[in-house]
Amino acid sequence: MSSSTVIRELQRDFEAKSNDLSKLQKDIAKNHQVRKKYTIQLGENELVLKELDILNEDANVYKLIGPVLVKQDLAEANANVRKRIEYISAELKRLDGNLQDLEEKQNSKKEAIFKLQERIQSLQAGKAKA
Amino acid sequence: MEGSAKKGTGTVTSLAEMFPAEDAQKAVKRVQEKVAEIQNELHRVRGFISDNSNLINLVQKLPEQLHHNIIVPFGKAAFFPGRLIHTNELMVLLGEGYYAERTSKQTVEILKRRGKVLESQVESLKAIMRDLKAETSFFDSTASEAAEGLLEITEDYVEENSTERESESGPPREDTPSFSEADKAKVSVEDEEYARIMSRLDELEKEELEAEDEKNKDDFNKLSDQKSFDTNLRYSEGYQSRELLEKTKDKKAATEEFLSKCDPQQDLNNQLNCMGLMVQSAPKDEKSHGKSLAHNVIKSSPPEKALMLPEVKENVQPVPLSRNEVPTQSSKPGFDAQKAFTGSIIERTHNTQINSSQESATSSQSPSSQPSKPVSRFKMQRR
Repeated sequence: MSSSTVIRELQRDFEAKSNDLSKLQKDIAKNHQVRKKYTIQLGENELVLKELDILNEDANVYKLIGPVLVKQDLAEANANVRKRIEYISAELKRLDGNLQDLEEKQNSKKEAIFKLQERIQSLQAGKAKA
Repeated sequence: MEGSAKKGTGTVTSLAEMFPAEDAQKAVKRVQEKVAEIQNELHRVRGFISDNSNLINLVQKLPEQLHHNIIVPFGKAAFFPGRLIHTNELMVLLGEGYYAERTSKQTVEILKRRGKVLESQVESLKAIMRDLKAETSFFDSTASEAAEGLLEITEDYVEENSTERESESGPPREDTPSFSEADKAKVSVEDEEYARIMSRLDELEKEELEAEDEKNKDDFNKLSDQKSFDTNLRYSEGYQSRELLEKTKDKKAATEEFLSKCDPQQDLNNQLNCMGLMVQSAPKDEKSHGKSLAHNVIKSSPPEKALMLPEVKENVQPVPLSRNEVPTQSSKPGFDAQKAFTGSIIERTHNTQINSSQESATSSQSPSSQPSKPVSRFKMQRR
């Protein structure tokens, strides 16, 4: 009787852990998506920066804010884009760190689940024999 | 299948066991999906490129006229006639909500730069595509092989004696090429034939060894001849240069030049000799290897033999090939090889002639050209 309760407990544990694992995997997928978005933005910003560098000093630059084009200083626009690139790079770095963390967690979870599975199986086999 | 393998030392596993056909096919499917994805992406980027080039054309044409009569869309359903003015002023979106006022010429430049970026994207996509295609073909072949019931045979290599041990320095375990069941059926028929081939091979090998011995002797003679020739030449040069040292300095420089020329030549000849020797010895090694393997097969038990045969056949195949080469080296055409050898010597003397003429030319440049003459005459005598 006691072995069956142990098995039940283990199975509950197993379910909880597998839920955690799937949550982690979802997080990782989300992380990938966000990272993709940021990489694209980084590329776009770098293109903009290149073009802004090529522009003459007296060129008129506008920024689209909502429905209106607001005139901007070229130097200001340049600085803004640079800041944005910096921000995106930092964000990408942060996401990378996060991802590594998540993957480590995922691996450890996987291992734990594997061990639990083995224990449950051996217990069930013992029960079947008895 | 497995039972017969257990009698021998090797193990037989069907490829399907290691890589189930369904799994391989699944892998193929997944890679193909990826390929399709990339194909779509490539299509998209190609569309961008064509859009971009169209836009470039349009922007180039716009400032050709002061104004264009156009139909202006108004809302979703309505259009009204309009007129495009300021044809040389464009607001270009640079990305991230930034716009810049540009002339059409400047705009074309921007667009061309964008085109370049797109081209590079296409290139990278193509590279990815190539990789994926290689992957697909690999998985595909694995799947088909597994489906055909190919077998992976691993066999311990049993060493026979010390000489063979020397020739076989590779790892004792080698993956034998897998073969299908149809081949196995043939094996018994091929057994007799195989024994015949082996005896013939042994004969041929003996002949060849004798021939090679002679040839090596010949080579050695040639080599020593040539060496003495070279040293003589050099010695004479050195002697003369010493003799003539007091006469001119130019002359000395010339001889030095000649000596330096002479050196690489000798090196070259030596290299040629070495290469010739190596070429001869290489097939020999191969043969002994094949032979040792053949011995293994003959001595081993019949079932093992049946298993091993395909492998041995693989190994033997190169031997007849090298055999084809060997007669050309050892027998009649073999003299061709030697002739080629003497040919190199002829070439060499030719070179020295050129060198000496060059030398005489260089020394004749110097005012005191007299000392150079005895040299060439001396050389003539040598020859």
